[in-house]
Amino acid sequence: MTGYLIRRVIQMVFVVLAVAVATYFLFSIAPGGPLTGLRQSQQRLKDTDVARIRAQYELDLYWPVRFSRWLAGFPSGPIVIAGNTYFAEVPVGCYLPDAETGGCKDYVYLEEMPKLHPPIKSSQGVLRGDFGLSSVVSIGRPAMDLFRSRIGPTLELMVSALLLSLLIGIPIGIFSAVRQYSKFDYLATTISFIGSAMPTFFFGLIMILLFSIVPVLISEQAPWLIRLPPGLRTAIRPYEIASWLPTIQPKTPADRFLHILMPLFVLTFFNTAQWSRFVRSSMLEVLRQDYVRTARAKGLVERAVIVKHALRNALIPFVTILVLQIPSLFAGATITETVFAWPGIGSLYVDALNRSDWPVALAFIFITAVLTVFATLLGDILYTVVDPRIRYS
Amino acid sequence: MASTAATVSLKQKPENEEGEAQGQWSVVARRFRRHRMAMISLVVLMIILLMSFLAPYITPYARDTIDVTAPVRPAPPGVVTDAGRHLLGIDHLGRDLFTRLLYAGRISLTIAIFVVAISETLGVMIGAAAGYFGGFTDAAVSRVIEFMLAIPLLPILLIVSAILLKGDDILRPPEFLNRIIGAVLLTPARETRQVVVMIMILVVFSWLGAARLMRGMALSLRSREFVEALRAQGASEGRIIFRHIIPNGIAPILVNASLALGGIIILESALSFLGVGIQDPTPTWGNMLAQSRSYMFTNPWLPLVPGIPLVIVSLCFNFIGDGLRDALDPRLKR
Repeated sequence: MTGYLIRRVIQMVFVVLAVAVATYFLFSIAPGGPLTGLRQSQQRLKDTDVARIRAQYELDLYWPVRFSRWLAGFPSGPIVIAGNTYFAEVPVGCYLPDAETGGCKDYVYLEEMPKLHPPIKSSQGVLRGDFGLSSVVSIGRPAMDLFRSRIGPTLELMVSALLLSLLIGIPIGIFSAVRQYSKFDYLATTISFIGSAMPTFFFGLIMILLFSIVPVLISEQAPWLIRLPPGLRTAIRPYEIASWLPTIQPKTPADRFLHILMPLFVLTFFNTAQWSRFVRSSMLEVLRQDYVRTARAKGLVERAVIVKHALRNALIPFVTILVLQIPSLFAGATITETVFAWPGIGSLYVDALNRSDWPVALAFIFITAVLTVFATLLGDILYTVVDPRIRYS
Repeated sequence: MASTAATVSLKQKPENEEGEAQGQWSVVARRFRRHRMAMISLVVLMIILLMSFLAPYITPYARDTIDVTAPVRPAPPGVVTDAGRHLLGIDHLGRDLFTRLLYAGRISLTIAIFVVAISETLGVMIGAAAGYFGGFTDAAVSRVIEFMLAIPLLPILLIVSAILLKGDDILRPPEFLNRIIGAVLLTPARETRQVVVMIMILVVFSWLGAARLMRGMALSLRSREFVEALRAQGASEGRIIFRHIIPNGIAPILVNASLALGGIIILESALSFLGVGIQDPTPTWGNMLAQSRSYMFTNPWLPLVPGIPLVIVSLCFNFIGDGLRDALDPRLKR
């Protein structure tokens, strides 16, 4: 087990590093970023001015150097050991590229780095919890700070959706497995089949259509219809939702509830479809086992057979799958959050991608990758705890 | 099955192999035909496919032509302007939605078909090789698959396509692919590049399923007697893999492929919907949906135009997968 754990941890570090290097490389060749359109908007800029601005964003450094500074805050200057400086003459970037030849007119050397890129202005490195500054979405604000401001809404939405869908999905799954091929089972599998084929974003738009747009359009004829807010987390102004209900004040519990209703429903629907399908197949598997037949043969009540013998075993693989939900609690539901303009981390990520805010996007990828590999490992370990038949070597 | 029979009766009747194979597949076809939803889906899909590939002959409008005579944009289905009648209305710029829908279908379906064809082929070959040869090959392939499964798929896919699709010269796809897909889609070079890059990105992330399935099949098949017999006869390894291992393990791959078609269609539209996929003016169902968001408050029918075909196609592929699964499962006697 110890050997297995060590192997897995090494593998995890490798996965995270590989993802980080790959995305950082992609980001280094990506179009867009802070310098886009600079030439067009400021025609009088000379090459040296552009170089100065480029250097402010550290874009003059070579990408592996930048990556290493992003990851570990290293190098920040020549290495000094016992008073001797080493590697001072190593070129780490190109301050003034030559547009005609593709070469470089003025290199950045390691000894110039403390002057050109003072450590106060650059990030301390991801390993020290510093993900750099947002470059477009919220200029100059630390990426970590942005995430901190968005994690609340994401957790609120994801946790309630997860709990609700478990609460609904598990009983549905059990019931349709126990009554296999019954009308209920048929209905449940059909709905979850549609749930698996229906794209989330279209379902979300349909919800907005049905509960926010159509009621507003026919509010003259049917003022009693409830109109739900189509997006965001709270309202700005007081608003009415139906003729027979009092005006809703912004930031009250009622306001929050009305705003979360639709995204929560969409997420719960899809999660429930997934959970119930999973519980159903797992239960069916277990119900065929010999020990269930034995339990029935020794005269146990069906209820005891289902709950004590079948369900407990059917839920074993459940633990691992539940653990795999951890990353999504941070990452949020990218699509649902975007559709309902929910101010969570998922919509922040999409926003960052669309506006080429690479530091924020990279931070998101890095954190999600770390959480994912951790969750996978945790799931595998928990598996051995709940199911003693499984041993890793 | 076919190959077991073939090895036994190789001397007697060479055409027996053909006969047996047809027998097996005709059983499958008969079972598939009995799956009503799958058959309906197949017909619906054929119609949609045909319509999108005959787009230039069906619709009088060009894909990006703006109807300058339209007084209001977007305008609802059936609107008649000086330029003619617009079956599904016009979008916010005044482009005919029915026309764009057909071309979008052409692009979305082409992407899905190419991605699935390439990735399933790749997956089958990689999986078969890993399962059959075992040892180092298997270990290497398994590690790569493990690695790919450990990364968060959607976020990575989003960032990769956000970066690779935006810049014109970051990734230059091979010219022959550009030509083929450009000819199928009738798109200008710049737009074709986007589609090809999208296909390449999706292929990279979607061969895993087929590879895992095929690896499992190859692992169990390679120790079977007929493979032993083939080896004893001196059949080459390539022949064993391509003529015997892969054909015998192909059934679950077919099911996987048809479900994957639905999955890829949705994935591609999700990327386009979030703004990191294929960009306007190239229409896809995803970016048409994304554009409809800004205008749906005054034109509630707008998101339904690209949305309904998307759901129908995705459901169809799922039903067909379901039907194939039932038809190919020998344990189900119907």
